[in-house]
Amino acid sequence: MSAGGAGGEAKGGYPPQTIMALGIVGGLAGIYLGNFMPPAYSFFGGLGAICATVWGADAVRRVASYGLGTGVPSIGMLALGMGILASLFGLSIGGVAGPIVAFVVAAIIGGVIGALANKVIGMGIPIMEQAMVEIAGAGTLVILGLSVVIAGSFDFALVVQNVVANGYIALIFIIGGMGILHPFNASLGPDEKQDRTLMLAVEKGAIALIIAGFASSLHEGLMAAGLNMFVGIVIWYFAFSKHYALIKRDAYAVVGTGLLPSSEELQ
Amino acid sequence: MIDALFGNIIWMALITIGGVLISWSVHFVPVGGAPAAMAQATGIGTGTVQLAAGAGLTGLVSAGFMMNVTDNLPLILASGAVGAMIMIAVTMIVGTLVYVYGVGVVPSSAKVKVDPITKYRQDLYVSQGTEGHGLPTVSFVSGVIGGGLGGIGGSLVYYSLIEVGMSVGLERAGITNAVTGNPLVAVAAIFAIGIFFVNAVIPSYNIGGTIEGFHDPKFKKWPKAVVSSLIATILCAIVAVVAIAQLGGI
Repeated sequence: MSAGGAGGEAKGGYPPQTIMALGIVGGLAGIYLGNFMPPAYSFFGGLGAICATVWGADAVRRVASYGLGTGVPSIGMLALGMGILASLFGLSIGGVAGPIVAFVVAAIIGGVIGALANKVIGMGIPIMEQAMVEIAGAGTLVILGLSVVIAGSFDFALVVQNVVANGYIALIFIIGGMGILHPFNASLGPDEKQDRTLMLAVEKGAIALIIAGFASSLHEGLMAAGLNMFVGIVIWYFAFSKHYALIKRDAYAVVGTGLLPSSEELQ
Repeated sequence: MIDALFGNIIWMALITIGGVLISWSVHFVPVGGAPAAMAQATGIGTGTVQLAAGAGLTGLVSAGFMMNVTDNLPLILASGAVGAMIMIAVTMIVGTLVYVYGVGVVPSSAKVKVDPITKYRQDLYVSQGTEGHGLPTVSFVSGVIGGGLGGIGGSLVYYSLIEVGMSVGLERAGITNAVTGNPLVAVAAIFAIGIFFVNAVIPSYNIGGTIEGFHDPKFKKWPKAVVSSLIATILCAIVAVVAIAQLGGI
């Protein structure tokens, strides 16, 4: 019904493995750099979150092309629902390996839910299991990356105190989910192109970094927060310009409609 | 880690029951999705997840509010159920006002010939080319039942997570400094939200877009979603209980 109806496999562009490698390696590298570098460099966590957002959006694009039967946003909420459980679990028992433990746990939960969706509910989407693993992993890395931006570290006690206890986790939940679910939801249709969708994901990830940077001023001070937001704004500017250029490339024509007619002109 | 799991096995069972209740409750909610937003299908014009989350999270808030004053489980569950029922009922009343006075359609179901509750004819009033529109009485009643079950499920999950935290020595009410707050309440709340979303999305894939309520033929598919949610929630409960038990150590 909604969401473009039943489609087929998503076509074109970069192969899934490339995006997956970018998401996993970039995401984890960003999270670890943000953790071990001084607090002023916590924006690396945000860069990791952007890589993971792009990966998540690509996975959503591939699975939602088959037609989920319900809106695309549901899968983004599922990703962050699984991600929030897995990320705090990983940080609580993993110590320095926390993000990796969280990632593996997310992959297990995602794989089980994907298998249930295909085997028990009978959705019949061939890549459901793999896509759920990817989406859960990407959701976890987005949460961890943005948590590193706010807390400056992925130490469980610090994350609980600076991200969870003051409620920023709810903010991360929604902006992270937006980055994963919105790009395909906004771009879907017969003329959907992978590079345009993924550029929108970069832009959404950059907005998430700006907002998380703003939130980080509470704990990390104004200088680090300003640097976080500055990096976010620069990435956002380039991603938005590129996305607009891609829209103009794909559109039949871009015309100005002028301003609304004034009341005199209407008479 | 293993001790925490065995020590809290009863709370994990309650979390799983809560997740299953949420999953079942979604089947009661009259979800119309995008077609209903154009008054071309019976139900509320948005997706399953948004509706279930809106009602369920309100239930969570009202249950948490009740936990301020008592730790009596039936009272907390009742508070959660009533909060969610009010939320979904208000949504449906406003939706009906918009459909009747704004769009100008008669609330009618395309899935049954007569409304099982009011015994009014339905098929005569369904516009051509649509699958019903608005919210007939049976859908409204079904939605309120769904809200109640979802609210009970959500507050059961939240209450159980709080009890797990208290068993490792954390405070349920404690300091409420303006910005730092209470770690246990925050972690339990966000975990309850996470479990809620997982269990709201699984049945929405089972329903596949639109459902009118318990009179809809699709309602009979609920065992599939409930079995899936049972397995998924057991996993989530293990993860959540271990993470909250670790909170006691920091």
